[in-house]
Amino acid sequence: MKNTSDQNISKIKLSKFLRPLITFLISSFLLYRIYEVVFIRQQFTPDIWVRFAISGLILGGMYALIAIGYTLVYGIMFMINFAHGEVMMLGAFGGYFIFELFNFIPTPTVADPDLTFLNSQPILSIILAFVAGVTIAGLSGYFLEKIAYRPLRKAPRLILLITAIGASTALQNLAMLLFGPTRKNVINPMILERSAGWSVLVSGKPVLITYTGVFSLVLSALLMVALYLVVQKTKLGRSMRAVAQDKNTAALMGVDVDDVISKTFIISGMLAGAAGVMWDIHMGLVNHYTGFLPGIKAFTAAVMGGIGNIPGAMLGGILLGMLEAVGPAALGIDFQLKDVIAFTILILVLIVRPSGILGEKLSEEKL
Amino acid sequence: MSNLSLKNGRNAGIVFGIIILIMFSTGFTLIGNQLVAKLIGNEGFKGLDQFKVFVIFMVLMGLWNGSTAARKPAIAKDEMMPAIANGLVAGLVFGVFSLVISVFFGTMLIIKVDIRNYLVNISPESTKLFLFDQTPVLGGAYHFGIALITSFAGAFLAHFTRTNQSLRNFIANSKRSVSDFSGSPKVVSTVNNQYFKIASYLVLAALLIIIPRQWGSYWNYVFGTVGIYVLLGLGLNIITGWAGQLVIGYVAFFAVGAYSFSLLTSPAPHNLMWNFWIALAVGVVAAAVSGLLIGLPILNLRGDYLAIVTLGLAEIIRILLKSDMLTDFTGGPRGLQKVGGPTLLGNSITSDIDFMYLIIIAVLVVTFFAYRLQNSRTGKAWYAINLDETVARATGINAYSSKLLALTLSAAVAGLAGALFASRNQFTGPDDHALMVSINVICLVIVGGIGNIPGIFLGAFALKGLPEILREIENYRLLVFGVLLIVMMRIRPEGFLPSQRPKLEHPIDLAKSGKEE
Amino acid sequence: MAICIETRNVSKIFGGLTAVNDVNLVVEDKSITSIIGPNGAGKTTLFNCISGYYTPEIGQILYNGNEIHGLPTFTIASIGISRTYQNIRLFSEMTAIENIMVGQHPQQKNIWIDSMLATKRHRTEYSATVEEARKLLKFVGLEGLGDHLAKNLPYGAQRRLEIARALGNKPKLLLLDEPTAGMNPQETGHMTSFIRSLRDDLGITIILIEHDMRVVMDISDQIAVLDYGEKIAEGKPKDIQSNQRVIEAYLGPGGSVLTQKYQQRKKLRHDAKS
Repeated sequence: MKNTSDQNISKIKLSKFLRPLITFLISSFLLYRIYEVVFIRQQFTPDIWVRFAISGLILGGMYALIAIGYTLVYGIMFMINFAHGEVMMLGAFGGYFIFELFNFIPTPTVADPDLTFLNSQPILSIILAFVAGVTIAGLSGYFLEKIAYRPLRKAPRLILLITAIGASTALQNLAMLLFGPTRKNVINPMILERSAGWSVLVSGKPVLITYTGVFSLVLSALLMVALYLVVQKTKLGRSMRAVAQDKNTAALMGVDVDDVISKTFIISGMLAGAAGVMWDIHMGLVNHYTGFLPGIKAFTAAVMGGIGNIPGAMLGGILLGMLEAVGPAALGIDFQLKDVIAFTILILVLIVRPSGILGEKLSEEKL
Repeated sequence: MSNLSLKNGRNAGIVFGIIILIMFSTGFTLIGNQLVAKLIGNEGFKGLDQFKVFVIFMVLMGLWNGSTAARKPAIAKDEMMPAIANGLVAGLVFGVFSLVISVFFGTMLIIKVDIRNYLVNISPESTKLFLFDQTPVLGGAYHFGIALITSFAGAFLAHFTRTNQSLRNFIANSKRSVSDFSGSPKVVSTVNNQYFKIASYLVLAALLIIIPRQWGSYWNYVFGTVGIYVLLGLGLNIITGWAGQLVIGYVAFFAVGAYSFSLLTSPAPHNLMWNFWIALAVGVVAAAVSGLLIGLPILNLRGDYLAIVTLGLAEIIRILLKSDMLTDFTGGPRGLQKVGGPTLLGNSITSDIDFMYLIIIAVLVVTFFAYRLQNSRTGKAWYAINLDETVARATGINAYSSKLLALTLSAAVAGLAGALFASRNQFTGPDDHALMVSINVICLVIVGGIGNIPGIFLGAFALKGLPEILREIENYRLLVFGVLLIVMMRIRPEGFLPSQRPKLEHPIDLAKSGKEE
Repeated sequence: MAICIETRNVSKIFGGLTAVNDVNLVVEDKSITSIIGPNGAGKTTLFNCISGYYTPEIGQILYNGNEIHGLPTFTIASIGISRTYQNIRLFSEMTAIENIMVGQHPQQKNIWIDSMLATKRHRTEYSATVEEARKLLKFVGLEGLGDHLAKNLPYGAQRRLEIARALGNKPKLLLLDEPTAGMNPQETGHMTSFIRSLRDDLGITIILIEHDMRVVMDISDQIAVLDYGEKIAEGKPKDIQSNQRVIEAYLGPGGSVLTQKYQQRKKLRHDAKS
């Protein structure tokens, strides 16, 4: 008997020793590789690095918005809302159709007979596009929860996860059958022309900071602040936090748990919808597959920041966007492989620090 | 009567209205009609007859709608009025939906706006079909009338079947007699009789030997695919069905098996040309090792991380295979051609019949081992982890290593399936390993009956065999799968063939009962 | 007598809350020890420390003289410490007999490859396990219910089945968390004698958490009292009954005065009678 326990003690010490060792090996390899690419090969000039960083920041803002949705839902229901990326995709389609519609409505003037509503009222168009995208995404979040997840409140988590996969597959293919598999070009209002922007000189060379990029970044920052205020200052936010801590106790204290969960889904859907319309405006392409990869990457971001932790999701999103934009260049690999980086990061985070950068905020699971 | 609730009717009407809207705008009404035409046979299925099929379809939808509205448990059992009223409301709402669809899209057709720029599947033919080749308003009116009348009839029928005592007794009796028959001692002892078992095995073996020879190569191809998916289902069942850990990116291991096998046997790009059997073994081992490696850091974490990490792995593998970086090593987006076939004693056996035998043997071997594992010490440990991991650990089960074993075995089976798949097609490429494969496999395991081996066979036939036969609905398959997953989880999470626990205290002793007789 | 398990200065801290504070406990072989205390006193937390769910921040837990704190739960189970749960936790979708067979997991040596190839080790162990499980089923009085799913068993049977599962790995130490919770007096009586027979017939050391004082006083060799995570008293049932701190923990401050008065009055009445 003594023998068994002694063996197991040695095993444990090994695994405790293994994690830092792996961490050390991986990070030293990565650092060496970055050093080699950046300083020895000097493939890119500083202005290109700045360009990468900026595009990463913009992308990161969108990831952060989507990641918040994952983190909110995970914190409350311990479930990966797999269909969250599809909610974002639906929001993106909402914005796309509004832009198409407004581009269809002629408002001719003397100076420009071809002028459409989209360009005669650009700000209104953008606002309405966001309203449409956010509404559609919020509603799909609401109905998703109501139809698919609510009947399974007491079911094991595996069943919820399978349902979520089913919902994701169904929504994605529904969108494909409705709107077709081809990518659609989103028409922006003139004031948000994708190639226009401010030019900034970095080490003597111009770097373009596009209007769409700044617009997305500012908007996502504003939305994140708004969400933080909602969660921290309002009654709804307080009930959300209470439900995340302990559903039963919250219910005993008079919180309508179903209602709070429902609202959480609406809020996370709305954020994803906003990210979807930003995707329209900044990226300019939308199809049924638009939401899938950003969705999974945003989940990665949420895990990276520490799941259940809202500031963590924001930080994780922005960090992931940056790493994805700068990573291929810094590691000297093909740009086709930028999608690989996010998934590799996910695996590395789970090996090195499973609780994320800022730590998980989950209620303690009952023994 | 004052508090007559029409909510059920309204909800049913809205649900069916949305269903018909989705069916129409995804083009399913047209495709479905063509499918029915194909099934019935081509003679006489031109012109107007197509519309008759559609009318029948709409009538059935209306009946279903009405009966759903009348069947909701909220309605008091014996009252006729609420049931009929709800049916009528359901018909009204459903009819309005159809009317609006007809008028809107009919007008679009008349003013020649090509809606297909935005909704690709709404073709003029499909709109014409929906309008029964009438003007928009008339077609809409037909729809409205059909919906109203059939929903009323549906509600009435539902009410009738529920309240009519003799009919209910008849249904209950027939249900009981079926279960009595299958559960009666005589049937049980016959089924468990030693000789009966041996005889049925022999019949099965004979069928498996004869049938591949009789089928043409098309059917061998279809059922070969079913066989590969049975293998994948059996593999995924180990980790997901028994150990309860969802693996979404199961296709990753399939890809590892297929590619390591193909690289070793294909003339390009490395020209290794190894022996089939060695390469097969290497493929299986490579997949198993990849499962082990991915499981090592992940399996001691929360369960759902495994799902997303394997998904990530599958995407990594697919992107890497498609990228230009590895073109020299793995053939890039074009994949690997001329993958080697099986050899036996120096003879190449690549005919489709021989390959079908190979797949059958592989399925039988894996099934055999799966049955052995199911109720063994290991299998019980897996199931205990699935049910309550904390308690499983407290009863002395090393949950981490058990899960690791399950994932490794699972991956090994996927590797076997991948190698066989590549060898049969004599080709493997990145597109063979899309995420869709994983979703298919998850779906077939769940629909058949999670954790149950016969269920996997049923699921593979239903989900992989039927769509091969009904090629028309290929595009709709994933949509249907997604909806199916949601619906199954909601109404029947244990699947169509739920797994049975063994009787161990009073086992039906096969050998003894056979000898005593 | 030999010491079976010993906790030395064990403390378990959750955030700011010290759930178990500096608890020393010595349990002798083949004894029955009860841990009592008001709700939230840290009894179950102490159990969780012993069975390995939690690693105490401070202190040691010794089992047969070996340190076991920090070992994973499955190792602790496999060296002969079994437990049951306050709210019954069976493998609900398995049959009763399968539940016991899962409990026998650490007793078996065969691995997956044995089962796949049906080696001799698998065959002999498997039939031995089934036989042993049937015996255990009979021992806890559930004969004939073995093929029912655990979730379909009545409440009392589920409690017994949980104990049977815990006995599956031939434990030397059994931790019972409120074994008589929710039982009527008759069932409680059966359970009490059953627990005693576990010690007498199988020679198992038992620690139990219990609220029913009649049971506690009836079967315990030793009682430890926890309050706010601290051990406030320890001793034979008689000593505990009259311990002032214990009474105060249960009845609040002034409780001892109340009981003193009660006992005085009782004595007076007794004297008056005689």
